[in-house]
Amino acid sequence: MTDAPFHIDPERARAEMEAFRRKLEAGMETLRHVGPVELGATPREIVYTEDKLTLWHFKGEKAPTAKTPLLICYALVNTPWMVDLQEDRSMVRNLLAQGEDVYLVDWGYPDGADRWLTLEDYIDGYLDRCVDEVRRRHGLDAINLLGICQGGVFSLCYSALHPEKVRNLVTMVTPVDFHTPDNMLSHWARNVDIDLFVDTVGNVPADLMNFAYLTLKPLRLNQQKYVGLVDILDNPKELENFLRMEKWIFDSPDQAGETFRQFARDFFQKNLLMQGRIQIGKRQVDLKRVTQPVLNIYAEQDHLVPPAASTPMREAIGSEDYTALAFPGGHIGIYVSGRAQKLVPPAIHEWLNQR
Amino acid sequence: MSEKTNDFIDQYQAFVRDGVEAWARQFDPKAGPAVTPSPDIVGRLFSGLDGYGDWLRSVMGGQAPTSPFGMGTPPFGQAAPGAPSFGFGPPPGAQPGTERFDDWAKVAREALSLPAFGITREQQEEQQALLRAWIDYAEQYTRYQTLLQGVHDRASEALRHQQAPTDADSMRSLYDRWVNLAEESYAQAALSAEFREVYAALVNAQMRLKLLQQRQIERLSAQAGMPTRKEVDSLGERLQAMRRELRQMQGLAAEVEALKAEIATLRAKPAKAPTKTAAPKKAAVAKKATRKTATRKTSR
Repeated sequence: MTDAPFHIDPERARAEMEAFRRKLEAGMETLRHVGPVELGATPREIVYTEDKLTLWHFKGEKAPTAKTPLLICYALVNTPWMVDLQEDRSMVRNLLAQGEDVYLVDWGYPDGADRWLTLEDYIDGYLDRCVDEVRRRHGLDAINLLGICQGGVFSLCYSALHPEKVRNLVTMVTPVDFHTPDNMLSHWARNVDIDLFVDTVGNVPADLMNFAYLTLKPLRLNQQKYVGLVDILDNPKELENFLRMEKWIFDSPDQAGETFRQFARDFFQKNLLMQGRIQIGKRQVDLKRVTQPVLNIYAEQDHLVPPAASTPMREAIGSEDYTALAFPGGHIGIYVSGRAQKLVPPAIHEWLNQR
Repeated sequence: MSEKTNDFIDQYQAFVRDGVEAWARQFDPKAGPAVTPSPDIVGRLFSGLDGYGDWLRSVMGGQAPTSPFGMGTPPFGQAAPGAPSFGFGPPPGAQPGTERFDDWAKVAREALSLPAFGITREQQEEQQALLRAWIDYAEQYTRYQTLLQGVHDRASEALRHQQAPTDADSMRSLYDRWVNLAEESYAQAALSAEFREVYAALVNAQMRLKLLQQRQIERLSAQAGMPTRKEVDSLGERLQAMRRELRQMQGLAAEVEALKAEIATLRAKPAKAPTKTAAPKKAAVAKKATRKTATRKTSR
């Protein structure tokens, strides 16, 4: 390719790049003086631990008004602090402000000892014991469960297997149909030899997972984003926000090998959840057994879980009380954008409050 | 376009690259100038800015933008196939994707299908399999890169058909326009059946090669009396199975305890019909069953 796409005035380009370079140079000073950023802004206490798992209970500024606690089940991919990134970008903080009593499952960072953990261990084991702990603390038969992304899939399976323990189910950016034509991740995974893959890598390294996510939009996420960063390098607050998000993206856990094998094969490749053929241990997951009220929140511009992957939940589950909420944003914006802070927690609280 | 015109890009890229080195030296005073940026924020920042510099250079040089895709890195980050360290490989200059490589690969495959002999037969076969896997990986890598080159060519073509920039357009706005076109072209290709097949073939080839390398290391480790990954995995699998069994038994034990407590409570109550000793037990079981059914109905 040697044809020039268009003519550029060299003097104008020179002036612009000089300004850009100066801005970068000055911005490096700001970058040097920004201290380490931390995730997880809301006060919290540990109420249960097991292996790498921690069950957190958040403390709001006022006592909760909700009678039924809300347990958040995050995905195994990335850490759960997306829901409590910083004070002014915290779904947890806003749920507490609404009067909810919030718990969070933090799966931790699996290592070689966790290589053989299966979906059964996660869903029927860890998650079930977290639910039991919250039920025990509140003396309740059933609690409210909020599942996010893969955690939403776990929550759906859990609600089908233990309907008596879940009073209301909220799912956020949760796929149900993994074979929609716009699902790039699922499309790529379809012909990969998953057994060979897991037999080779064991636990799936976080860097490898991140690499796959970054290649969904390679130029935007590996290059343009950092060119854009120069624009905010002179603004310490904006820079800290950027660094927090960056930390969350890259400070992610490895995936337990056997769980990854099962999830990639049965959900991504075979789409068994839609067919009612997912096996968790010896039990089959029948989504028709999800008869609790369900609030399904999806993001309209979600490139990881396209709306079409989530909305079939309505037909797949047995509940007659199903509410869908379309959020105008993306997979991450649904937690951290200013609009999300105003819309999502109040919507969840109001929906729960009515049931 | 004269070389002088691009001086400012040289200065920009020199600044970016110096920045990487200076940053690396902060953490390692002994680090030389050729230190690879660590995979932290600054490394990623400078890598992105360097790519922006490459884009500027090609556009200012009157050429279509350089390909931003792949950059020699196939899916899952494994290094591009370099020269194999098997003591047998393609001749110098026969890079994957060239005709010379294809000619060599054809001959090599025939040679590698010859049966192995003698006391080192297993090692010979292992080496043969490893080299076959490497050739396959190199070929799949070439297919993937060709696909990405097509993505880039289509984006460049689309850029040429766009409205020419006006005085109001900055370099950044042109760059953003290029990014949009490139991502559109990429997304279209990435959702195609061809991409799916080529992507999976490359990942599978990577994994086959890696698995064979691991087996070779396993064998060498075993010979040296070192514990191997296979052994550790085996132990881990057994341990996890035992933990599951233990949990199950603990669950059963808790149920037995609960039943014992229930029986004790029932026994403590005065019997209504002293002549039928088995009756309370049956009643307890029936009562329990009824309660379970009722709970299920309520939850629905």
